[in-house]
Amino acid sequence: MEFNEIKAILADEAKLRGVEEYELYYTSGTSVSTETLKDEISSFSSGTSGGLCFRCRIDGKIGYAATELFEESELRDLVSRAAENAKNIEKAEGIIFSGSPEYEKLPAREYIPASAAELKRAALELQQKTYGTDARVTDGTQSCALTASREIRIVNSHGLELSNSMGASALYALPVIKDGEESQQDFVMELYNGKNDMEALAKRAVDKTVAKLGAGNVKTGKYNVVIDGDEMRSLLSVYSVAFTAKQAQSGLSLLAGKEGEKIASDIITLTDDPMRDECPCITNFDAEGVAARRKTVIDKGVLKTLLYNLETAAKAGVESTGNASKAGYAAPVGTSPYAFCIEAGDKTLDELFAMAENGIYITEVKGLHAGANAVTGDFSVESAGFLIENGKKTRAIKNFTVAGNFFELLKSITALSDKIELGVPMSTTAFGSPAVLVPNMSVAGE
Amino acid sequence: MIEKNLLEEILGIAISTGADFAEVYFEKTRNGNIRLLDSKIDTITDNTISGVGIRAFVGTNTVFASTSDLTRNGLVACARSVAEAVGDAVKANVCIRLTERIFPNIHPARIVPASAEMKLKTDLLREADSAARGYDARIAQVVGTLITVDHTIQIANTEGLLTSDRHLRTRMFCNVTASDKGENQSGNFGPGRGMGLEVFEIFKPCDIGLRAAQQAVTNLTADYCPAGKMTVAIENGFGGVIFHAACGHSLEAPSVGIGTSQMCGKMGQKIANEKVTAIDDGTIPGAWGSTNIDDEGNPTQRNVLIENGILKSYMIDRLGSRRMGMPMTGNSRRENYLYEATSRMTNTYIDNGPDKNEDIIASIEYGLYAKNMGGGSVNPLTGDFNFAVSEGYIVRNGKICEPVRGASLIGNGSQILMDIDMVGQNLATGQGMCGSASGSVPTDVGQPLIRVSSITVGGR
Repeated sequence: MEFNEIKAILADEAKLRGVEEYELYYTSGTSVSTETLKDEISSFSSGTSGGLCFRCRIDGKIGYAATELFEESELRDLVSRAAENAKNIEKAEGIIFSGSPEYEKLPAREYIPASAAELKRAALELQQKTYGTDARVTDGTQSCALTASREIRIVNSHGLELSNSMGASALYALPVIKDGEESQQDFVMELYNGKNDMEALAKRAVDKTVAKLGAGNVKTGKYNVVIDGDEMRSLLSVYSVAFTAKQAQSGLSLLAGKEGEKIASDIITLTDDPMRDECPCITNFDAEGVAARRKTVIDKGVLKTLLYNLETAAKAGVESTGNASKAGYAAPVGTSPYAFCIEAGDKTLDELFAMAENGIYITEVKGLHAGANAVTGDFSVESAGFLIENGKKTRAIKNFTVAGNFFELLKSITALSDKIELGVPMSTTAFGSPAVLVPNMSVAGE
Repeated sequence: MIEKNLLEEILGIAISTGADFAEVYFEKTRNGNIRLLDSKIDTITDNTISGVGIRAFVGTNTVFASTSDLTRNGLVACARSVAEAVGDAVKANVCIRLTERIFPNIHPARIVPASAEMKLKTDLLREADSAARGYDARIAQVVGTLITVDHTIQIANTEGLLTSDRHLRTRMFCNVTASDKGENQSGNFGPGRGMGLEVFEIFKPCDIGLRAAQQAVTNLTADYCPAGKMTVAIENGFGGVIFHAACGHSLEAPSVGIGTSQMCGKMGQKIANEKVTAIDDGTIPGAWGSTNIDDEGNPTQRNVLIENGILKSYMIDRLGSRRMGMPMTGNSRRENYLYEATSRMTNTYIDNGPDKNEDIIASIEYGLYAKNMGGGSVNPLTGDFNFAVSEGYIVRNGKICEPVRGASLIGNGSQILMDIDMVGQNLATGQGMCGSASGSVPTDVGQPLIRVSSITVGGR
């Protein structure tokens, strides 16, 4: 069913049921991916998906209902389900937005989806280069190539019509290295552009995996710790929810009431940018149709603003920061950042090691979904990395935990590296951070 | 549901270019979600998920395509895309004949959530909320969520199988925050079953709220857990996540079948302490991880994975069966039609053992009693795992003493299986959502109280 037909049926049903204010939030996507095992394509998959959420406002209360089944009876049912859901809500704070005065122009980006043949060729070449990099690369090694695109549309009863589409292709190298009795595995991803240096990508993945071989243990104690940028951005991703006004207003964020206060070390500046250059998904409107814009969240250690959507902004008596989001078409409106980045500092990684003198360089944290709590700030997570001895990175170590509190950690960072690399976007957010130096952290090992 | 003759046609297309097997998976799921916050009903969402996944096999290689377009044209196009990815030319005009099969329903549901009055559902959340808030003046927030899933599937394949199933799941998740002197602590409890709203006759909502509140307040008064290696007693129920993370994933075919599991080639060998017997059972009536049939249309089974320390079985789907040369075990699962099914755990637990619970605690001179666990993760290749302790206490001279917070446990799967040196007798399960290759699926974990002789405790 065409989108215009869907729109017409919903408008008709809404009118019949006396639902005056409503919004359609529609997403559709396509993806193609291919994986290798040994020297063959072991898996090839493709998909189209799409869904629609009908959101209506009745007596100030918001109701939702969503579907992937675009049949007339289901669409008509959607309106009555949403209206029924609205009637049972016990707060009258919902808003269906009439539109921002202006929307920043999105930079033109061309997305040409890689063809199936091209993806297969790329995955096979990467697999071959990975096996060729080191004799210890063993079966179980996989290379993947994929392309995906997504379109988002918001249409509402106030006449607002917005749309945005995005797409990207990527390569993954996942080598398995066997050395004697020991096996190790890791992965490296890069965006696919048709002219990637496969040999270099394979080498990066293999080097990263080989570096984990022969990892030893570390004694329990307090250490100066350098957290790699990739791992610091993972920590930031868990705690980003504490920067949303919804969490703060619900008593679930320790940042509640701290706007204007110093919450981090002087060297910390945290920004959120919906159009950050290196981010594969960019937008000029949020999930409620509010214009999305760049903002500084922490400026030299001072919390400048939390992230707001329309409802939480109205409650706080401020303007929405344009951070309404949906974790999928069917989800309720929440709040999240776009490209959420701790900006880079001025030290090289080697300078951070020298400053740490004796300590630990963390290159892997695992189980953050369980070991890090956004409400309390506490974390205690399985880690791996390298010892730092006499200011230099030395032997690999694993099977230890590093523990602390994220909000205390923000205050105790003493230096930042000069590079940040954005992670793969999760839902609609990408995170970035330089490597950070944190003195005196608790480590549990032997 | 899709008409039989249309299924036969699209299977014929999918297999026409050289595949040796093809299957169609149709799904229609109604998800309901009601959230209470600040003691008010805050959000109600419901969602219909509907689509088809078509998969073809060429030996141990697979081609998969999915679509939400259920028109005849949409389904034929999806099957064609599979056939084209398998081979360039039509090699055979295969006529598929499907014979319908109905498996027994061992997970009945009495109160279907979608047809129940909204007030009945919102009152359940209010009951949990008032119990939690009534427990202690320091309870600052209660977030209660009622999650209902009504899942209908239809599976057909080129071996002639045509079958379908309808399965319900209901769960309440209660997340409580206690706050004092600028500090927050959390408590969670989220029981569920593969049944309708009658699940709340087993789990009273007030008990759910109370248990989460007690945990939050206990953590508020707790000091940080000390770090280092120690003896740990892990309580029953969700404590079973230790086996799930430390060993279960390493016994699933996606890693065993391609040689990236530390459990490869260990069948018949002693991999655990002789007190450990571990079972994966998708047939337990009404359990959170149970279904009548798996997502490839095979009836679920009770599989003894480890018996008295000896590895007896892996968990194997069709692709794994081809790769490993072993029979399927009814473990094929997927989050929805967008994912290819693969072998996953269902209800996985360590069975009751020979030790008395009181003897386990009494045997510990100094260590940790992990009363409630959070989630965890594992690298199946190395077996290195981690998981979080959400409520813990120090054990001193055989007695449970003061609470401690912020602990995690890390170790290696093959090592900890040997180090489980006492197994108690109060087997119980806990519910979780397990995220892996084929998406997020409901799984039960379980065990009686166990003792691990030595494990690294992350704390500070």
